Order: sequence, then C-alpha cells, then structure tokens
Amino acid sequence: MNGMTIGQYYPVNSRIHRLDPRVKLVAAFIYITMLFLVKNFWGYLFAAFFVSLTIYASKVPIIYMLRGLKNIIFIITFMLVMNIFFTKGERVLFSIWKISVTMEGLILSARMAVRLILLVVGTSILTLTTSPIQLTDGIEYLLKPFKRFGVPAHEIAMMMSIALRFIPTLVEELDKIMKAQKARGADFDTGGLMKKAKSLIPLLVPLFISAFRRADELAMAMEARCYRGDYNRTRMKEMKLYPHDYRFMAVVGAFCIAVIGSRFV
Amino acid sequence: MKICSGNILFRKKLTEIGDKMNMIKSLKLSFEYTQYNEEKESKEHLLALKDIDLSVEKGEFIAILGTNGSGKSTLAKHINALLTPVRGTLWVKGYDTNMEENIWEVRKTAGMVFQNPDNQIIATVVEEDVAFGPENLGVEPKEIRKRVNESLEAVGMSEYLNHQPHLLSGGQKQRIAIAGVLAMKPDCIVLDEPTAMLDPQGRKEVIDTVIRLNREEDMTVVLITHYMEEAIQAHRVVVMEDGAIIMDGEPKSIFSNVERMKEIGLDVPQVTEISHELRKNGLNIPGDILSTEEMVETLCQLKSKT
Amino acid sequence: MSIEIKNLSYIYNKGTAFEQTAIHDINISIQKGEFIGLIGHTGSGKSTLIQHLNALLKPSTGHILLDGEDINADSSKLKRIRQRVGLVFQYPEHQLFEMTVYKDVAFGPENMGLSKEETDKRVKAALENVGVDESIHEKSPFELSGGQKRRVAIAGVLAMEPEVLVLDEPAAGLDPRGRDEVLGLIKSMHSNLGITVILVSHSMEDVSRLVNRVIVMHQGRIAMDGALNEVFSRVEEIEALGLRAPSISYLMKGLNERGFGLPQDIYKVEDAVDCLLKVFQPGVCK
Repeated sequence: MNGMTIGQYYPVNSRIHRLDPRVKLVAAFIYITMLFLVKNFWGYLFAAFFVSLTIYASKVPIIYMLRGLKNIIFIITFMLVMNIFFTKGERVLFSIWKISVTMEGLILSARMAVRLILLVVGTSILTLTTSPIQLTDGIEYLLKPFKRFGVPAHEIAMMMSIALRFIPTLVEELDKIMKAQKARGADFDTGGLMKKAKSLIPLLVPLFISAFRRADELAMAMEARCYRGDYNRTRMKEMKLYPHDYRFMAVVGAFCIAVIGSRFV
Repeated sequence: MKICSGNILFRKKLTEIGDKMNMIKSLKLSFEYTQYNEEKESKEHLLALKDIDLSVEKGEFIAILGTNGSGKSTLAKHINALLTPVRGTLWVKGYDTNMEENIWEVRKTAGMVFQNPDNQIIATVVEEDVAFGPENLGVEPKEIRKRVNESLEAVGMSEYLNHQPHLLSGGQKQRIAIAGVLAMKPDCIVLDEPTAMLDPQGRKEVIDTVIRLNREEDMTVVLITHYMEEAIQAHRVVVMEDGAIIMDGEPKSIFSNVERMKEIGLDVPQVTEISHELRKNGLNIPGDILSTEEMVETLCQLKSKT
Repeated sequence: MSIEIKNLSYIYNKGTAFEQTAIHDINISIQKGEFIGLIGHTGSGKSTLIQHLNALLKPSTGHILLDGEDINADSSKLKRIRQRVGLVFQYPEHQLFEMTVYKDVAFGPENMGLSKEETDKRVKAALENVGVDESIHEKSPFELSGGQKRRVAIAGVLAMEPEVLVLDEPAAGLDPRGRDEVLGLIKSMHSNLGITVILVSHSMEDVSRLVNRVIVMHQGRIAMDGALNEVFSRVEEIEALGLRAPSISYLMKGLNERGFGLPQDIYKVEDAVDCLLKVFQPGVCK
C-alpha cells in the first residue's frame, strides 16, 4: 500500500484537476441528466464529443477510463443480450425457435449500451480528477442548502473524510491480523464458499473491534481539539471560484443547449 | 489573607485571582467510574481519583508517574475537561472545569496529546490535520495557515506539510499531533503516555520536542508516563498510586526512594539503584544519583579520597 | 530441532517501482533450547526475518531449513511448519476474536485438526502456563485487562506446542510491572518447557535479563551475533549502529576510562554493586 492513492484519484496537474470540486460535481450531475434526455444519434455524438474533450484536457491516460468499464462489462453484455432477443418489434431480422431478433431491439440495445458506457466514463473522469478530500468538501458545500430540511451536511462530509483517512490504516491492520491468524494455522484459501466465509470471522471480528476502539479514541481526540460540529467552524482552504471555473460552466452550458437542441432535429 | 466570612462573592473573587497565578490547580479532586455487572443490576462505584490536590505553575514541566490503574490518565483527562470531577474542583488558568460554559476555554488552554499516534489524526493530509483545531475555534483562514506553518516548524516537521499521515513513522505522527495542539495556541500541553507505542527513536523525537517547547517557548508541560528516563528530565515528578498522589518533588528526591518505587511497580534508573545499594553497604556517596556521568564522577572522587 | 538460515534475502515489491531489499544474505544457525535476543532499529529487517521462520514470507533467495528440510519446499506442509514454529506478533491481544477465552486458545489446536480431548488438554495446559486461572476460561476475552488479554493471546500460540517460540516485542506498551510479568513468564516457559525462544526487542535492558545469545541487525544485515555479555561489552560498536547498550555497560565503560580496571561485561545491577564494593571495600566479606 506504499504510496498508492486512495480510490481512483490520478494526481496530475491539468485544467480539469484544477477545477473547483463543486463545479465538477454539479457538471457531473447535469451531464448524467443530459444523457437521459438524448433522443437521437446527434445527442450521443455531442455527449461523446464533450466526454472526449474532457478526457483530453484531464491528461489522464485513457486506460484508467477503460478500467471503470471493465467492471461493468458483465452488466452491459447481459443487457445487450436481453434487449436484442426480447424486444418486440416489427422489422424482424431472423428468428431462432420462438425468439426473434428485431431491428428495434438492436437499436435499443445499442442505445442503452452507449448510454451506459458514456455514463461510466463520465463519472470516472470526476473521481480520477478530484481527490477524495475535495469531493467531500464539495459534497458538504452542495448539501448545505438542504440543512434546513434536516440533512446533516457537515456530519456526512466529516464521516466520509474520516472513513477515507482510515482506509489505509485498516487495510494495514487487516494484514497484520491475517498474518497472526495464519501463524495459528488459519487457512483463508482452501475450501468451499461456506468454509471460506467462516474463515473470515477471525479476521472481521478483531478488525471491527479495533475499528470501534479507534472511533472512540478519535472522538475523544476531536473533542480535545474543540470540535463541536459545524458551530462557528472556518476552513483553512476556502473554495473559491475562478475564471477557469466560469469558462468550464459555459462549456457545460453549451453542451446542454446542444443536447436539448438535438431533440428537435 | 483575612476574608470577611459573610462575603461569599469577595471570597470567590480572591480564590479566582489566586488560581490565576497557577496554570493548573486542583482541590480535593475526586472521580468515580460506575461499573455495572453483567445483568446490569448492581452498580459498583470505583474511585479512580481520591482527593487530588495538585498545582502546576506556568512554565513548569511536570511528569506524572504511575502504573496502569494509578489514575494518571484519568487525572490528565480532567485537565482537558474531557472528564469533570465528581467531587472537588479543578481550575485551568482560573477557569473552573465544572462549569459547562468554560469547557472550550479549558480545552483551548490545555491541549491534549494521546497515546495512540494513529487515532488522533483526522485528515488525509498533514497540513489539514494540523488546521483542524484552529478551524474548530473559528480562526480566520489566513491566520490558520500561519499557525499551521509555525506549529509544524516548532515540531520540526515543516517538510511534511503535504504528506499523507499514514505513511509517517510513529514518532513523526506524534509530532504532528503535538503540532495540531500547538496550532490552537494553548498555554499548557498535557501528554498522556505519548511514547508508550513508539520505538526508542520515536520516543526520543517526541521527548526532545516537548523539552524544547518547555524551555524555549515557556510552554507548561504535563507529561503522563511510566518511563523513568523521561521523568528524570522534568522539573518535578508526581507519583500516583491507586488514585492518590503519594509523592511529589524533584526527580532526585523521588527516585532516591528506590524501595518505595519498586514496591509500587515503577522503574528506577539503574545507576540510582546502584548508588542506593552501595550506600546501604556503607559507602559514603549520595543515594540520589540519576545519571551515569554523575555516578562516574562521584566514584572517581571517592576513589581519590581513599 | 535445529534451524539453519542460509543466504536469506527478501525483496518487497519485486519488479515494481517500490522495490526494496529488506534483508540481505542472512546466515544464522539456531540450536534447540537457545534463548536468543534479536535486536535492531525499526527498519533493520527484524520483522521481515521472523516472518520467514514460519513461512509467512517466502525467501526471494536463500533457504530456511528446519531439521535439515527446506520449509518452503512443500506448500502442503505449511500448517505443520507453523505449528512447530510459533510466532507471537506485537500487541497479540489484537488477534482475539472468540466468544470465550477457552475457544480462542483452542483456535490453533483446532486448525491443526486435533481431537477434542487433545485440544482440551493443550488449551488447559497453555492457559496454566501463562498464569490464567480456570475461573476466567469461560469469560469473553474482551472483558479482560490488557495484561490478561496478552497472556491469553500468547497461550493461543503456546497451545499448538511449538518447538520454537518467536515473540515480537512481547512487552510493547506495558508498564514496568506488566513488562516484568510478561518477561518473567517467557523466562519460565523457556526453562520449564524446554522450547527454543527468539525474543525480538528494541530494549537492550529487557533482553539482558533473559537471553544467552544476542543477534543485532542493522539495515537488513546481521551486524553482531554472539553470547550476551560478549556483545554488550562492545559498547562503541553498538553505538555506531545507532543503538544503546544497557546503561550499566556505559557506567563500566566510563569508570574504566578513568582507570578503574573493571570487567566490561557486567550488565546486571547486583553484579555491578558486588564489583564496586570489591573496589571500595576490599577484604569485606560479602
């Protein structure tokens, strides 16, 4: 775990990296919404163009974008198969027994696949160019207006950042526990599903107990440093919007117009 | 000081002024834990602290020694108002910790560093963790930045500003924790067994930092420890057993009580033990030698006399 | 029972950008019944070395022979190796997980596939050896004090009846009383059970009370290997490695520099007192 960054974040200095996290979060949200408004080929073209431009500006190697896709290959394939074979349509291409493949089915599944791919790649850009801390800061800010409805914005953000902070620590601890149990003859590799699941108990129980103990001590340390929730709290690093943020928002705006406009073509 | 017996307000004011001269002062401080048995039926009150009277002057470096269960950690948590007395009073810079409105002032004045280096660090980047304290206090962003830089410099960790804390060594993590406390600009630092989980290198780093802060920045330091090599560097050593203070004095006078210390279950420097034994056997040397150098000198002088 | 470590090297993250040689060309020979202290800085390679002894790590180069057989030759025999060479990690109480003390200690023997009767015998013996009373057997390990938890954890390894017991900083985080108890326990285990013990520590003083042989590691290599009093008397060498000799060694050194002519290999308080009394009270019977 030495030097590896948490999550997918790929640290490099690019235009996209420098954007304010709030802007990126809102842009991602808008982008996803637009994807569902796309009706025809032109819409998908604009979306693909927008995504490609962003990938290029982010200086993140394409391979990382494609990694995200690797995880959902199974879902895409499943969906494709379902839609190709089970969509009812008029222009039948060929049939096997009672199952027919229609042109409509083909087009529909192609659309869904493209949409899903664009969705995953788009959100990958967000996590690849925004550090976990930036993400939680951005989320906290954006959730603030919902405080009046009882949404604990600050607490959610604090929980997320503490969780992120402790992931490498807990992974290290899990490793130590695993070695200690192996030294007592524990076996995590052999056996069927049930046996393997059972073998996790000597790993998970100590880890959970340790996590609770840590949480307790951490809470005490936070109180000792005068933490009392969001009361009168300032931040050393204030999030400010710069001209490049406004420029990006304009680009997103243009993208929206293009997509909505494409519906009328 | 003659006080009009009927004038309670006047008496209270005088007590307050008197206490402002001490950084920390406690009067008959007692604390109890309530323990329930398995069926949650009966309660047992375990007295963790019994009538503690302690005063610490500004700029003093005191070490509180004791075995596990002596109550030293419990006492430390009272100084930072993490715990409040069940009986008696504790004042920090004149603020009574029993009064809820004082809690944040107390915690700001007497910062606390804990034993486990990992479980004090909240952020994923060093500078953000050090900023946590001042952020909670509502300090202005530019000022926070300044304090973070100064605190890291004070503990010798300036170059680690942008590092991830989980990659640091134990001693480095503890120094970050100290920086995090310093950034709140306290008058006093309480360290609860800060070196218990560190290797010798880490222990040295932390204690050297603490000593420097005391000597150069006039920081009042309360060090809870069971390592005698740390305690002998303090101005004053307080020994606790079973929730009570049983010894309070300079390191030399405390550690020369070799038998008593061993009875309690504490260590004594090996040279002190040797000087004590030699004295018992009739040799005319002081029984309170703490360092190897002092021992060598004393024995040389003795040799030249015979 | 003998262990031969031949030309052992281990490289972390081989072939990546994070490649790091943790230990180089280690050669050690260990005989039955020895009580060895393994000393070195954090990063000297001690942890890496001991994890090879029970095959938790596989050598990058070199071999480890237990009674002449390479422990990594047959991966199906790993469990047996781990029974013969017991390893107690730092803060072993963090590995406790069962509902009762008894069950947790039984984990090791059960993994070995022993019968219920045999397991029961071993669990009871192990708990007795670490000084945990029968009244505690059915308690949850999480109800116990820190010192008791540690003893239960050690019993968990002892219950497998290893021929070699390796303990990584068994006194870590304990106060002087707790430390004395644990070290006393280990000493009696060594003498009563006749097992070979390897104690990993930072503290020269802790080690000096127990072991008869000291191995000092530095930057992944063996820097010193010899009898206790012989190694500890080499104060300058120890300092050069960034370690501290026991304080009494410094006292002897300081006095000898001033012409006292005392034996350099003294490191116990009683011996120092005796020796100094002889100097200042010659002819007084002690």
